[in-house]
Amino acid sequence: MKDDLNIVGKRVVRSDSLAKVTGEARYTADLTFPGMLVAKVLRSPYPHAKIVGIDVSKALKVPGVKAAVSGFDSYGVKWGVFRYTQDHAMLHTDKVRYIGEDVAAVAAVDEETAMEALSRIKVDYEPLPAVFDPFESMKDGAPQIHEQYKNNINIHINIDVGEVDRAMEKAYLVREDTFKAAGEAYAMMEPYAVVASFKNGYLDLYMPNAGPHVRAKALSNMLKLPLNRVRIRHINSGGAFGGRSEVAPGDLVASLLAIKSGRPVKLVLSREENATSSRQVHDIIATIKTGMKKDGTILAKDYKVIYDGGAYSSTGPIATSIPFYVYEECYRFPNVRYNGYRVFTNKGIRGMYGCHGRAFLAGNEAQMDVMAKELGLDPVDVRLKNGLKSGEMTATKSKITSCGLKETIMTASEKTNFRKRWAKPSRLKGVGMGCVAIMCGFPMGFRSGSSCYVKINDDGQVTLVTGLVDNGQGNESMVIQVASEVLGVPMADINLVNADTEVTNLDPGAYSQAAAFVGANAVRVACENAREKIVAIAAEKLKVKVKDVGLKDGSAYSLKNPDKKMPISWVVREAFFRGEPITGTGSFFPNIDFEREWVTRPWGQMAGTFSFGTSIAEVNIDGETGKITMPRFTSAHDCGRAINPMAVEGQMEGSIQQAGVAAITEGNLWDGGYLLNPNLLEYKVPLACDMPDMDTIIVSSRDPAGPFGAKEGGLTVRMNAYSAVACAVANATGELFSELPLTPDRVMKMLERKKGVKG
Amino acid sequence: MKTIKVSFNINNEDVALDVRPYETLLETLRERLFLTGAKEACGLGACGACTVVVNGIPLRSCLVLTPEVEGATITTVEGLREDGKLHPLQETFMEKGAVQCGFCTSGMIMTAKALLDRKKKPTKKEIVTTISSNICRCTGYKKIVEAVEEAAKRMATA
Amino acid sequence: MILPQFEYRRARSVADAVALYKKEKGKALYLAGGTDLIPLVKLRLQAPKAVIDLKGIEDLRIIASRGGSLSVGANVTLFDLKKDPVIAAHFPVLIESLEATACETLQMRGTLGGNILQGTRCLEYNQSLEWRKARGFCLKTGGKECNVVRGAKTCFANYCSDNAPSLISLGAQLRFTGPGGERTVKLESLFTGDARTPFAMEGGEVLTHILIPLKKTKGAYEKLRVRESMDYPLVGAAVSVIDGKARVCVGGVGGAPRLYVIGDIRDAAAVRDVAEKASADAKPVANATVSPVYRKKMVGTLVKRAVRRALAEGKR
Repeated sequence: MKDDLNIVGKRVVRSDSLAKVTGEARYTADLTFPGMLVAKVLRSPYPHAKIVGIDVSKALKVPGVKAAVSGFDSYGVKWGVFRYTQDHAMLHTDKVRYIGEDVAAVAAVDEETAMEALSRIKVDYEPLPAVFDPFESMKDGAPQIHEQYKNNINIHINIDVGEVDRAMEKAYLVREDTFKAAGEAYAMMEPYAVVASFKNGYLDLYMPNAGPHVRAKALSNMLKLPLNRVRIRHINSGGAFGGRSEVAPGDLVASLLAIKSGRPVKLVLSREENATSSRQVHDIIATIKTGMKKDGTILAKDYKVIYDGGAYSSTGPIATSIPFYVYEECYRFPNVRYNGYRVFTNKGIRGMYGCHGRAFLAGNEAQMDVMAKELGLDPVDVRLKNGLKSGEMTATKSKITSCGLKETIMTASEKTNFRKRWAKPSRLKGVGMGCVAIMCGFPMGFRSGSSCYVKINDDGQVTLVTGLVDNGQGNESMVIQVASEVLGVPMADINLVNADTEVTNLDPGAYSQAAAFVGANAVRVACENAREKIVAIAAEKLKVKVKDVGLKDGSAYSLKNPDKKMPISWVVREAFFRGEPITGTGSFFPNIDFEREWVTRPWGQMAGTFSFGTSIAEVNIDGETGKITMPRFTSAHDCGRAINPMAVEGQMEGSIQQAGVAAITEGNLWDGGYLLNPNLLEYKVPLACDMPDMDTIIVSSRDPAGPFGAKEGGLTVRMNAYSAVACAVANATGELFSELPLTPDRVMKMLERKKGVKG
Repeated sequence: MKTIKVSFNINNEDVALDVRPYETLLETLRERLFLTGAKEACGLGACGACTVVVNGIPLRSCLVLTPEVEGATITTVEGLREDGKLHPLQETFMEKGAVQCGFCTSGMIMTAKALLDRKKKPTKKEIVTTISSNICRCTGYKKIVEAVEEAAKRMATA
Repeated sequence: MILPQFEYRRARSVADAVALYKKEKGKALYLAGGTDLIPLVKLRLQAPKAVIDLKGIEDLRIIASRGGSLSVGANVTLFDLKKDPVIAAHFPVLIESLEATACETLQMRGTLGGNILQGTRCLEYNQSLEWRKARGFCLKTGGKECNVVRGAKTCFANYCSDNAPSLISLGAQLRFTGPGGERTVKLESLFTGDARTPFAMEGGEVLTHILIPLKKTKGAYEKLRVRESMDYPLVGAAVSVIDGKARVCVGGVGGAPRLYVIGDIRDAAAVRDVAEKASADAKPVANATVSPVYRKKMVGTLVKRAVRRALAEGKR
């Protein structure tokens, strides 16, 4: 791989930031259209109830109300990400299954009128017994939330590799622990919003989303409209973190209202609604049994993990699997058994999350340290010993093609003097290390690939067209940077048309860590194809060989004699004359085993490549209050090559906040089916004053298939930062955590347990 | 309900509006003046995304009634540019990578602006204290702090 | 989130405010910084017919020494108060609690009067109307029993002012003007003990001034919270020491702060006794983000720590 890159690898200003610092960037709630109506949703006050009837007629009589809908106005098509998880009609006519579920909606001239109208809708419910605890839910005789899922078990993932029981018998040290973690709130700063308009048989929609194409498909099914009649348009997104991946009830509600009223409709959820009724994160209970050899080699892992899935399937099979995979992609497990159960309860729907799986992952890592300690080993050595290397296969048969795990472990531990500090922790101070790997993309059938169309305009400026999505992480800027590198055109001269289902092609979206590896690769290929055409004409005009043509700063020049050059715009105009404008298409389809299926065939190549990362947390515990402070946090990340190191650092720093510091502050609180903290005051998103000093280290492994060697950037930290914190707390207290977040009351309990205090 | 007449100066422009007595400043900005830079992220004053500067004070505009700002001088993120030139905070937020999804950005910049207007050389700790009034979900705040530090430097030498 | 309908009135003087209140037949609420009030109205926990804006009243923005007291106008913002040299020189406990209140932006809008007269809080109470309707109304919102402690006929909402405990420890008094004239009361006697209606006030009374005895004190405020900014106290403990005698006040647990006096601050046993008593008196329930058992224990811990720091002249 050449290192003489012009712009890839540089700390460039993101292309989207000017609009954002001037307030000009438009988000869904900022949109207005002539005649636009305001929508409001009536929500279920019951965790579980039969719907006997819904009467919206009185709402329609309120002056200013233009439409009212319930499930009886929809086709009742149930959406599911998989054929076997189709259970969510968005607006149901049979039952409600959680408090806050969408039941009916109105569109009116203003919000006050809409609220007045909501109060006139009459819904007859017959309350049913409800269940909120997944263990209760699995018992015989528990209230059945969906007919088709026995014992409310939505998904059971069973993976069994090697001979776990025999290996456990042979192990020198075996340990079993159970770890719990409260589900988190995505708490993206932008509450969900949608604008829908239906004109001339075409439905146009704007909403924060991580994948417009899959969204359009869902809505086309539910509204029985041809796919080309549903157009999801590009709009800025105020954060997703996994919570904007799927079609939302509001998408359907706004669409139905727009179709009925014939006017554009805007629905903006309140912060509370965003918390209760968009997506939540799974509460998890993970039982982890590990067998180790005397030298620290992991012989066997036996897992039973319960995921509280809330009321509907959502991304069920994926959510039930991912924590296991990101762990098996990191370490060598000769024998492993994983039983993951996603269980329905009468709570809000749980989806995928960037930090998904903290009970499982932090539990594994913290337990590993305790076992290492018992064996007189060092956590660094144990991780190096068990860590996968390039060329190896994971337990479920994914090949690792590039791997900087070792480098991330070594760099992070050396920078923090980890070994020494871990071995001799001072009183109530600790260090802890967490490692993980991340698949860059996962099987999504024909939606797993991305493609791009590029055209060079007669002024030499470039237009890229791609399905790629940006939820705030900087994907748009990233592909502009890649195109700039390939075409030798400054970033400012490249326009991007993206994530608009009418004009862009399929793309895996921004929720499977595929944007850099897959999306940017497609852009690279398209631009390389266009480049070939530019270079051919330029070579002819400059009278040099094709291989001697360089492109830079909007000019084609001779590599041997840089003074010999011409603007790319001249080349483009010449191409127009020849009737062959400079355009390029390109696509990238990752090397994935498409026979692989989450439930029925959980083996085969998961993704085109994997990223790796190691985080080290340093904690101080106040012995009197149990309060944890984090003076420093170090993360090292193998992201292949960082296309924009500043953006990758930003992802890593955000991950330290959202997974690391969150491990001591964040968790949804429940009173049965009532979410007690659906706001930003009692749900504790860490603030600037709560942040440690952060050291982010980018380790380069240059993936052979990645665009300029790039893999995903940042997510490893999102899935190992809490592990580092849990391990550091174990190091400081000598106790394993039992539940996240590690709020001061829980830490105090750990300290008391250590001291042998009862209570 | 009868509307109330309210006049104030916003981004160097005098405006006179008829507003609902129970209308928030955030609603007035977004719906009447189409200044949508200030965002509603929580509606209850817990996040700072709607922060604008009123008479030099950063206010959460979701907690302010528009009639309360009668006669006030208001600056929103849209009014930061002078003669087309970006405010140093706008420049440094871009250059330092302090912007990700952007939804907290205007509130964050306006909070920082009020700090830099009243304090020429804030310490890092003072910057952290000030921006601990605002929630950012994306960045971990490090680059935001760096951006404010750098803007303070530029404003001191300007 | 839109507000329900109400009228907006601007008072030019305290007398004007009281007159406006009478004109609205008692269905009005006074508005100062609005940082507590507006969220309550948005959540439909308060439903005024009118709000009477007090911010235009000059007199309520003045800090002055009068007859051995520092008189602080109720509309002085927390941020301005923090910068007052007299307060910094005399009342370290107050400086610390002001610093610990909410966040800087809210300190710049929130007033001392508003901070004292803020509503009591509970995870089951500070919720939207839709949320509370679904849950079933609690004692504080007109229901038959507490939603946190099943069957309880007592409201356990927490009084979460950071500054009231400090002011109580300093022996502060409040001056009110209302339809019935003026009165001055000790801050600790403001509280009814019933978290539903925490303040013993007549309808239409305006809190005009906070009077703090102007003596040099030592003091410290300890606050338990999950985040170091924005959060209300899960427990707050204020200590002020004058001539070796300490006044300790605990807030954040239950509907009223509790005052304890330690005759001799250097008497370790006396300090321990008060810490234990404060902890025993505290009756936290599961209505905040950490466990009640823990909060109860922390009452004693924070009292001891505040005393320790007060003696060390605020050094942390």
